Amino acid sequence: MPVISADLTRQGGMPPAAELERRLLAGQTLLAETPGHVLEVVGVLESYGEVLDAYSRNLIYQAEHQFLNPFPIFKFLDGDLNPAKIWRHLNHDRINFEYAEYCMKAMLWHGTGGLDAYLDSQAFADLCAKIIEAKRRKDLLLGLLDPLFRQFLPELIRTAATTHALGQFWRVMSDLFIDLAAAERDGRVASIAQVVDFLKDGLVAAAAKPITYAVTIGLESFPVLPPEAGLTFLVDVAVPYVEAVFLRGMPFLGTVSFNAQAQQISPDQAQFAYGALFADPLPTMGAGIPPSLLMQDMYRHLPKSLHDWYLQCSRGEGDVRVKICASFQKAMFCVTNAAIAGTLPHPIGSGDPQAQAANQAYARAWATRLASARTDCLSAAS
Amino acid sequence: MMSSVLMAFPWLSLLLAIPFLGTFALLLWPGEPSPGRLRGITIGLLAAQLVASLALLLVFDPALGGMQLEELHSWVPSIGLNYQLGVDGLSLPLVLINAALTLVAAVCTRDFSKRPRIYFSMLLLISGAVNGAFLAENLLLFFLFYELELIPLWLLISIWGGNQRAYAATKFLIFTAVSGMLILGAFLGLALFTGTVDFSLTAITSERLAMGSQIVLLSALLVGFGIKLPLVPFHTWLPDAHTQASTPVSVLLAGVLLKLGTYGILRFGMGLFPEAWAQLAPGLAIWAAITVVYGSLAAIAQRDMKRMVAYSSVGHMGYVLLAGAAATPVALLGAEFQMVSHGLISALLFLLVGTVYRKTGTRDLDVLRGLLNPERGLPFTGTLMILGVMASAGMPGMVGFIAEFLVFRGSLLAYPIATLVCMVGSGLTAVYFLLLVNRAFFGRLAITPASDNPVDDARLDIQLAPVAPRETLPALALALGVLALGLFPALLGHWSEATTTAMAQFPALLAPITDGGLG
Amino acid sequence: MTAALPLPIQLVWLIPVYGFSGVLLSLPWATGWVKRNGPRPAAYLNLLVTLLAFAHGSLVTLDIWQRGPQHLSINWFSVADLHLAIGFDLTLTNLAALELVTLLSLLAQFFALGYLDKEWSLARFYALVGFFEGALSGLVLSSNLFMSYFLLEMLTLSTYLLVGFWYAQPLVVTAARDAFLTKRVGDVLLLMGVVALSALAGSMEFTDLYSWAAQAQDPSQGTARLAPLVGSLIGLGLIAGPMGKCAQFPMHLWLDEAMEGPNPASILRNSVVVTSGALVLLKLMPLLRLSPMATTVLLVVGTISAIAGALVALAQVDLKRAFSYSTTSYLGLVFIAIALEQPALALLLLLSHGLAKALLFMSVGSVIATTNCQDLTELGGLGNRMPATTLAFLVAGAGLVGLVPLGCYWCFGLGVQAVGQAHPLFAVVILLTNLLTALNLTRVFRSVFLGAATPKTKRAPEVNWLMALPMVSLTVLVLVTPLLMARINPVPGISAFSLPVALAVAGSGLVGVGIGSLIRLDQFWSRSIQQPLRGLQDLLALDFYTEKIYRNTIVAFVAGLARFTNAIDRQVVNGVVNGIGRLSLQSAENLKLSVSGQLQSYVLTVVIAIVVLLSSLTWMVGEAVR
Repeated sequence: MPVISADLTRQGGMPPAAELERRLLAGQTLLAETPGHVLEVVGVLESYGEVLDAYSRNLIYQAEHQFLNPFPIFKFLDGDLNPAKIWRHLNHDRINFEYAEYCMKAMLWHGTGGLDAYLDSQAFADLCAKIIEAKRRKDLLLGLLDPLFRQFLPELIRTAATTHALGQFWRVMSDLFIDLAAAERDGRVASIAQVVDFLKDGLVAAAAKPITYAVTIGLESFPVLPPEAGLTFLVDVAVPYVEAVFLRGMPFLGTVSFNAQAQQISPDQAQFAYGALFADPLPTMGAGIPPSLLMQDMYRHLPKSLHDWYLQCSRGEGDVRVKICASFQKAMFCVTNAAIAGTLPHPIGSGDPQAQAANQAYARAWATRLASARTDCLSAAS
Repeated sequence: MMSSVLMAFPWLSLLLAIPFLGTFALLLWPGEPSPGRLRGITIGLLAAQLVASLALLLVFDPALGGMQLEELHSWVPSIGLNYQLGVDGLSLPLVLINAALTLVAAVCTRDFSKRPRIYFSMLLLISGAVNGAFLAENLLLFFLFYELELIPLWLLISIWGGNQRAYAATKFLIFTAVSGMLILGAFLGLALFTGTVDFSLTAITSERLAMGSQIVLLSALLVGFGIKLPLVPFHTWLPDAHTQASTPVSVLLAGVLLKLGTYGILRFGMGLFPEAWAQLAPGLAIWAAITVVYGSLAAIAQRDMKRMVAYSSVGHMGYVLLAGAAATPVALLGAEFQMVSHGLISALLFLLVGTVYRKTGTRDLDVLRGLLNPERGLPFTGTLMILGVMASAGMPGMVGFIAEFLVFRGSLLAYPIATLVCMVGSGLTAVYFLLLVNRAFFGRLAITPASDNPVDDARLDIQLAPVAPRETLPALALALGVLALGLFPALLGHWSEATTTAMAQFPALLAPITDGGLG
Repeated sequence: MTAALPLPIQLVWLIPVYGFSGVLLSLPWATGWVKRNGPRPAAYLNLLVTLLAFAHGSLVTLDIWQRGPQHLSINWFSVADLHLAIGFDLTLTNLAALELVTLLSLLAQFFALGYLDKEWSLARFYALVGFFEGALSGLVLSSNLFMSYFLLEMLTLSTYLLVGFWYAQPLVVTAARDAFLTKRVGDVLLLMGVVALSALAGSMEFTDLYSWAAQAQDPSQGTARLAPLVGSLIGLGLIAGPMGKCAQFPMHLWLDEAMEGPNPASILRNSVVVTSGALVLLKLMPLLRLSPMATTVLLVVGTISAIAGALVALAQVDLKRAFSYSTTSYLGLVFIAIALEQPALALLLLLSHGLAKALLFMSVGSVIATTNCQDLTELGGLGNRMPATTLAFLVAGAGLVGLVPLGCYWCFGLGVQAVGQAHPLFAVVILLTNLLTALNLTRVFRSVFLGAATPKTKRAPEVNWLMALPMVSLTVLVLVTPLLMARINPVPGISAFSLPVALAVAGSGLVGVGIGSLIRLDQFWSRSIQQPLRGLQDLLALDFYTEKIYRNTIVAFVAGLARFTNAIDRQVVNGVVNGIGRLSLQSAENLKLSVSGQLQSYVLTVVIAIVVLLSSLTWMVGEAVR
């Protein structure tokens, strides 16, 4: 059965796992240090930050105000129903919030980490029961469906909870990326190493931020992700997000066959390698490539310096969104790099052999995983 | 009164004057005009020629079946060579196609590095000579124009062609020279045996000739024009000429010059030798079927996109011969449609293949992949290519379909087996063109040379130059023409129907059609 | 066209134009001309024109209901004795089909807004669906064979483009190719039939063709009588097109592969596209009397497709393919009905199958969108979380199977009643198909909706409203299908079958459901240890090795012939030419002429040679002048 061979999408020059491990342990950046890379990473993260701001606001709005709404027709309008905005919405002159939902679905579906574990807990089931009880009294349709399909509403509440959690996560990331751009303008950040450090510090600072979510039904507030659940930013949301979106991802209809007989998709989701660090940027904007939506959003918020730089290479404006995707991939390697550095069990310089061994094991696990990613974009030449 | 003034104007001479005077003007232009300027002048002249050709539609009476707007001036009466022009529904669309495609060829010329002055004047010369051949009402005058077109084309291939241009150009020259000699021989023979020195189409006739002589002369004409058409096995010059010629020359060669062959067969073969034609027609139908299937099968095996399109030309021109053999009104109108259709579609395909070649540096179907990629590929070219190949495969809504339908519908009762075989050939067209689109345009964008280790040699991060919108204009115009005639065939049928119906009227041909049944 | 006709009828030609206009309306987004904004306006515009087509169709239907069938014809192209027209046959049957087409197109397009919400090439998708719908709606109204062929071929093209929508995916590339070529084979054969009929009968209007066919068969017509062989060949040509379109054995392979295309297109393909192919066959039915052979072929093909399609469906692990083969199977039953001259039965079956199958594919689409998975062995436990999807599947299944009194139950009852006496064999075929389909639906339902959740179905929220709304609407429609059928078929009424027949139909459905509930699912796909059973599983799962057979026969034959021709061309034809060229150039060389003179002398030699040759030939064959 024909598949797009991995060899066909990579340009070679992929560093082996040992090299990645060495860089991680030596505190070197994965991405090569060049002025072009700094421009690309900071620029693309700035536009990504602006897009994430909109995504985050919308996800939180959806989770809080469109909760269990069977016909959320205006869910992308953030409650602002003026005609001009509706017209822009109809004219598709807007952020593609569908991509935010896509990332949320990826997180929900892959279901790893603390948030997912909580969604399966008895505590959560009890909260759901209360919410459903309150909802059933107001909504006849739900009252009819719930007894017949017992998991129907809990599943939707899990979705809403994931939506809200992702919204909170992106709130932090958006601010971090925008701050990064400001820092670069101030001259506080001028190299890839400083970019990674900046991101690492931001992630570490937010690591313990609690993730909570409550919905209002009638006048009463119902907790969905209560503070007692103890969910925190880094471990319970950021790590599952990286796992679901950066690493595993979901197969693109435009490149992979879903045909069961062709067996192109692994039955084990843990084996998936369709995420942002693995994807091929070239088909961007082609049919069946969901990240095209994100690239379009970033294209609309591209900082001028980066846009001008893109105009000078290859097709200029003609293939700008493929170039954004390539830059985005580099930026995501930096974010991953920062996340790994931030979650190393022990400080890099630690002299304790046990700590060194733990660090090494941790770095090796990551390096093995990343060795088959699109690391060909990391070299100075690309 | 206005109309009589219009009618009296020598329109046909104007159609010769514009390109021929243009040729001289270009050659004698003072100083060293820049290539862009030369191109501009050429485009202006060819646009004027197109306008003049379109103006013919105003004065042409589509209700008449015979020659119109005739002009006659004595030239060398002693050998029967007179300047005698006329146009009818058979030649009128071809004159238009010639004007349009020469203009397209001039517009899509990108490489001015070598002798632009000669290049553009040769384009004009070809256009004028082709117009002359289509409009000549005198056998010798036709022959002169027919030969006149040969030299500039030879130059265009041998100066501006690919690596093996010398071989291809010589092959072309020899084949076409033989073709010309056979035609001249047949013309001279006809005059010799009938004892006339008047080579006017209206005066000369084969009626008094014995059937044997008629058949010999007709055979000479058939082989002569069959080389030009080209019919199997006289076709081998064509793929070579196409692969070596530059894109504009291929457009002219496929779109216009091959039509001289079909036009000649219909005008002179069928027109001058109706009795012998009726005798040979069953054989011609078989010949047509062989050509169609042979061309299509050979096209399937090609890996060079241009060669594939060239072999597809061989297949498609075979339909015209089939229609001529059947010679019913519907079939002959189908032949006219097929000539126009093939002119537009093959020109379109050569333009697009040319674009792919210019951008990627290769035409090899084993190498090209995924050109539909919207950002880095050639998506617009790909879209037009899908349209073009579908038109060529006879997809309804485009002119190829109505042409094939008319040919098949008109020929089926006369030659059922040959027609059905040709329809199979039409099905095969879909096979090779689908392979072309699927290989080169679908899949992931990559250029993977067929070597021992294709992956290592693959050019993956492809930096193809973008196709500017104005580069696509000629192809877009042709595509619109293909669609317009496909949706509104009366746009063409209106002008040709009276002529093709009149051509089908000669009694010798009626017998096999009515008696043949389905045998 | 009389002036008295109301405007909606006079403007009926607009109905296909609505769909086609969707293509033009989508162009600014599909071509990338609009660069900053997204492609959704193209989707909205297409929905709008489809709604217009549906509304216009409804108005026309109401008018026709009152004033009876109308026929409109516009001359398209005439030459000599050939007259090609754009003709519309406004009968209630055709209009019902039109409403089915436009309504399902509307629902599928709405569904696609949700299913393809992350699709950047949305405008191209909608343009293609618009093209599809335009061709389909013209096809069902068409009053002449030429226009039907014209639009059928356009459908082939749009199928190719829709299947090839995700053009960068390698399996799509082969699927689109095979879909086009398989249909094209049918189309070329059909074209042969169309051209032959056009040449023999003159007119292309169906009504004229019917009377021509009646005359051509009439022994009293003497010489004008058509040779039986010709009649048979025409009949075979005519059924080849619908066979390809309806994915009948042996031209069924494309439908399986076409499942690589986007699901909203699969909804249409499995419901209205196959229906349109069958409708063309239905219109051709009176002509098939010319050809007893064609009728026999129809019966054989229909029977094989019905039974084998249902059997192959049983062995599929792919969710979409399990039901695409069932489409082949049901269309096989329609073919049988047409061959046995039961047009009313065929129509009812098409209607109830079309609606139920469209719903089934919507449900399947929801499952795929939620789980990213089409593999039955990896699915399970969706039943208690996806109410709309589950109910849609159940209702669609019930509508397809003769067990509960929804659409197909009545069709099967009527079918068994109608053919049971004269052709008991085909009654058995109907019952067996019913049994196998019930079995297949039950086993798929168990794998997907029952049992424990799997890793891929652990988090499965119901689909968003853009998909749920059309799905629920269609669910309701399938539930009321029997009422629609009762209006369409007042005589003899949809319940005109005896109690034993009713019991037989329900019984066969029940047995199917029973077996489907009892078989062990986990073993169903895992390969059996027993060699014969294992062979059978593979045989069915791989569709009787049809693809392999094709590759080793037709494809290999054409490819071989092409290579052979190419070799002949290069070695023999071109070789001879090069040889002659070398020889003659050498002889010219021998004359020791300058390079420039070479050509002249060459040409001169040739001229003289030819003149001499021609003259001598002429004298050899006799006096030149009579």
